[in-house]
Amino acid sequence: MNNIRNFSIIAHIDHGKSTLADRMIQLCDLVSDREFKNQLLDNMEIERERGITIKSQTICLPYTAADGKTYSLNLVDTPGHVDFSYEVSRALSSCEGALLLIDAAQGVEAQTLANLYLAMENDLEIIPVINKIDLPSADPEGVALQVEDDLGLDIDHVQYCSAKTGQGVKEIFEAIVTLLPPPQGSPEAPLQALIFDANYDSFRGTLISVRIINGTVKAGNSIRFMSTGKEYRVEEVGLFKLRRESCKQLSAGQVGYILAGIKTVEDTRPGDTITTVENPAAKALPGFKEVQQVVFSSLYPISTDDYEDLATALEKLKLNDAALTFEKDSSAALGFGFRCGFLGLLHLEVIQERLEREFDISLILTVPSVQYHFFLSNGKEIIVDNPAHFPDPAHIEHIEEPFIKATILMPETYMGAVMTLCLERRGENTNFHYPTPGRIELTVELPLADVIYDFYDKLKSITQGYGSFDYALFDYRRADLVKLDILVNSEIVDALSQLVHRNNARARGLHACEMLKQEIPRQMFKIAIQAAIGGTIVARTTVSALRKDVTAKCYGGDISRKRKLLEKQKAGKKRMKTVGNVDIPQTAFLAVLKSEQ
Amino acid sequence: MLYIHIPFCEKKCGYCAFASVAGARELYRPYCTALLEELSRLPRRQLSTLFFGGGTPTSLPTDLLCELLDFIRQHFSFAEEAEVSMEANPGTVSFESLRRLRLAGVNRISFGVQSFDDDELRVLGRIHNAEEAREAVRMARDAGFDNLSLDLMYGLPDQDTQAFDFSLHCALELHPRHISLYQLTPEEGTPLFTALENGRLTLPGEEDIIAMDSLVNRVTAEAGFEHYETSNYALPGYRCRHNIRYWHNEEWFAAGAAAVSYVQGCRERREENPWHYIEKITAGEDAVVERESLDREASFRETVIMGLRMMEGVDLSELQCRFHLEPRQYYGGVLQKLMEQGLVERTPTHLKLSPAGHSFANIVMAELV
Ligand SMILES: Nc1nc2c(ncn2[C@@H]2O[C@H](COP(=O)(O)OP(=O)(O)O)[C@@H](O)[C@H]2O)c(=O)[nH]1
Ligand code: SF4
Repeated sequence: MNNIRNFSIIAHIDHGKSTLADRMIQLCDLVSDREFKNQLLDNMEIERERGITIKSQTICLPYTAADGKTYSLNLVDTPGHVDFSYEVSRALSSCEGALLLIDAAQGVEAQTLANLYLAMENDLEIIPVINKIDLPSADPEGVALQVEDDLGLDIDHVQYCSAKTGQGVKEIFEAIVTLLPPPQGSPEAPLQALIFDANYDSFRGTLISVRIINGTVKAGNSIRFMSTGKEYRVEEVGLFKLRRESCKQLSAGQVGYILAGIKTVEDTRPGDTITTVENPAAKALPGFKEVQQVVFSSLYPISTDDYEDLATALEKLKLNDAALTFEKDSSAALGFGFRCGFLGLLHLEVIQERLEREFDISLILTVPSVQYHFFLSNGKEIIVDNPAHFPDPAHIEHIEEPFIKATILMPETYMGAVMTLCLERRGENTNFHYPTPGRIELTVELPLADVIYDFYDKLKSITQGYGSFDYALFDYRRADLVKLDILVNSEIVDALSQLVHRNNARARGLHACEMLKQEIPRQMFKIAIQAAIGGTIVARTTVSALRKDVTAKCYGGDISRKRKLLEKQKAGKKRMKTVGNVDIPQTAFLAVLKSEQ
Repeated sequence: MLYIHIPFCEKKCGYCAFASVAGARELYRPYCTALLEELSRLPRRQLSTLFFGGGTPTSLPTDLLCELLDFIRQHFSFAEEAEVSMEANPGTVSFESLRRLRLAGVNRISFGVQSFDDDELRVLGRIHNAEEAREAVRMARDAGFDNLSLDLMYGLPDQDTQAFDFSLHCALELHPRHISLYQLTPEEGTPLFTALENGRLTLPGEEDIIAMDSLVNRVTAEAGFEHYETSNYALPGYRCRHNIRYWHNEEWFAAGAAAVSYVQGCRERREENPWHYIEKITAGEDAVVERESLDREASFRETVIMGLRMMEGVDLSELQCRFHLEPRQYYGGVLQKLMEQGLVERTPTHLKLSPAGHSFANIVMAELV
């Protein structure tokens, strides 16, 4: 156990985590250069495009240190977005230490802090690593001071490197070996294996990533998931080398995988503890939480024929993404679809993109909503995330909505604009301090509903990309909520209904009307678009009638071309949803979700 | 029936997206040689209609045109009362040339006049003015052309209803037998399109266009013209038989750069670039760059939508005969709905667009395509 080190790299986005991981793989004893594949750890197409790791991948790096001994360094990868902080925390709790990677030109950012706090909560030893020292704009000394003053970390432990050139990476390996403690725990004790990730493999079932805290597990063992009591027989255990490599057993201190013929990842919940049936542990490891979906939206296939495909696609995605939930939903306007729960808006976008790209299903999404608690006059409490289930206002005693605590880090100059944004979004209890001269750390309590809408995009644009943001759910507070309906030629388009604050309702209604007006093509008749609360119209616009749609000239040479144009027009129409007699394009539904300018 | 494309013009008009090049005089002779070669490969059939389109056919020297006509007469022979049409542009004809073409067998001439307002003509980039257009028509009359057609465009940049009214009356005063009236459609990639994009020119608004449409209907009817296709008007007996065959989606042969033929259900498009066209034909190859054969149902649908451009509509017994399909059965609810919306009508013999249907022809056709 003394020659094992388990660690994570935690960093703000773009500070170079993937690059450093690549470099470490390259510079340890694992691969020859020929085999080296760029961005090895980050192998999902979409994530790469977005530069975000959602599904983490872990790797065991063999390293022969200056002391002549060979160490197994387990690099446990973590997802890099605020939507996934629980997953990050589970990954961190399977480590003894973490590299806190900071861009030498950018300095400390909101996620740097958020991840550091998570690491501290998990009692990790932290090695600050200042990256990108090759950049002309790098200020390693300044950043090192930030690390000491603001983060309270030991400046003597700071490592300087360039993940790009490889400079300083050997020193990081040495620091891991000398500064991070070896794992503790007893191989003889009853098994306690911490699940920190699960991936679905269509041949072998769920691949469970575990850190063995105590005990030993091997093929043939009967194991039990302590949160659900479900039992399985272990088929294989192994290590994460470049490829999976089976081994005889995993014991305390090690990081590896377990295959036990499990059909869905749902049964394998990050944070849960695995023990053996024969010799069960007395207690599960602390920190387990059910994943909590905070954003809900209904997904409808544009073509009703795609419903079955959508169901299959969601099942498939769910195999690998326990955080996604879905159940049947239906809409008068859109037919059958699914009500889905997501960890956040980014999670939603990733799922939407994968459905459209990997499964080729065009979708309409309804306005994302958070979960509201409705307290009814009959004393009951219900949870509503779908405007369709909005109770009769006469029976509502009061409503509560989720609040988050947000941490925003930004250069001082943007403070005014960011404060305005927070107030617009009903921010409360703002607090700020200066972690370093010129930078402000703002904490603010915000209603989650106003954050999921477009807060992050807005923040990025008003701070020109320099503002960073992190949040955690922390409270429920009273809210004055109404259901805003959109009517097209007097018919309610239920898929466009949304739950909004009474004070914002008119503005939202206007915005929705305007967006629809821009996106709904003119048709043979006038189209009235209205927004209403209860029976009261709060906003309206009209799309004027199309007067003429004729191709003037069409002779022999044009027949094919003109026919193809008409076929295109027809295909375009197929991608629209007909509500009453009005054709509404997919873009119109999406536009309503977009922010007001 | 045979279509021949002449891909040459004196100068490119600002709105032109047709297959034509300007100023390539050195190609005239080799192009005709290639055309003769391609024509000689066609089966010797009797022609009931022949159409020279462009470009500007009359930009070719009359000698060459006559040579082509002579060859065609020998190779194919004309049916009795065959319609031999030629597109022509004012500014490219003389009494002499028109006379010779008439004698060589051309019996229908169609002048691209577009407008009788000199400013509008300049904006369009036409090579002629209004007076030259009038002169060309008079010369054609004198040369013996009775079956004479004029092309006019409306919805021109900054044109108002009055201005169009003026052009339309000027056209009618010349007593053409046939008129084609097109709403200007800016085509991407043309100078006009760019000028509209960056706001140097603006098109009249929808209200004006609608007013011009009704002006067209009223004025042509008063002058005794029958509106027989979306954009075409003729005095009784003067409909263009060649073009009608397109709208009936019947077969035709074709030769020349960019020309499209439709023979035995196969539509073939030829190389558009005249240089390449000449090279290919000279090398003994065909110049076809695109072939399309539709299956029976697709061809049926295409025939329906093309036929709906005709005011009288599509002949149901024709459809039955050619495709063994009946529109109402074939389209079911889709057609039913269009009929309920009052866009499509059915007579005992035909399926046709209603007047409202004609305003929204593309919407109807996009349902039926
Ligand atoms: N100049 C320089 N660029 C780096 C270095 N490390 C990473 N980068 C660049 O920084 C960007 C973000 O790196 P990446 O590893 O994807 O960051 P991640 O989002 O933290 O995984 C990429 O364009 C890298 O090429 C470095 O040491 N020096
Ligand atoms: S005359 Fe006709 S074909 Fe020639 S350039 Fe003008 S519009 Fe185009």
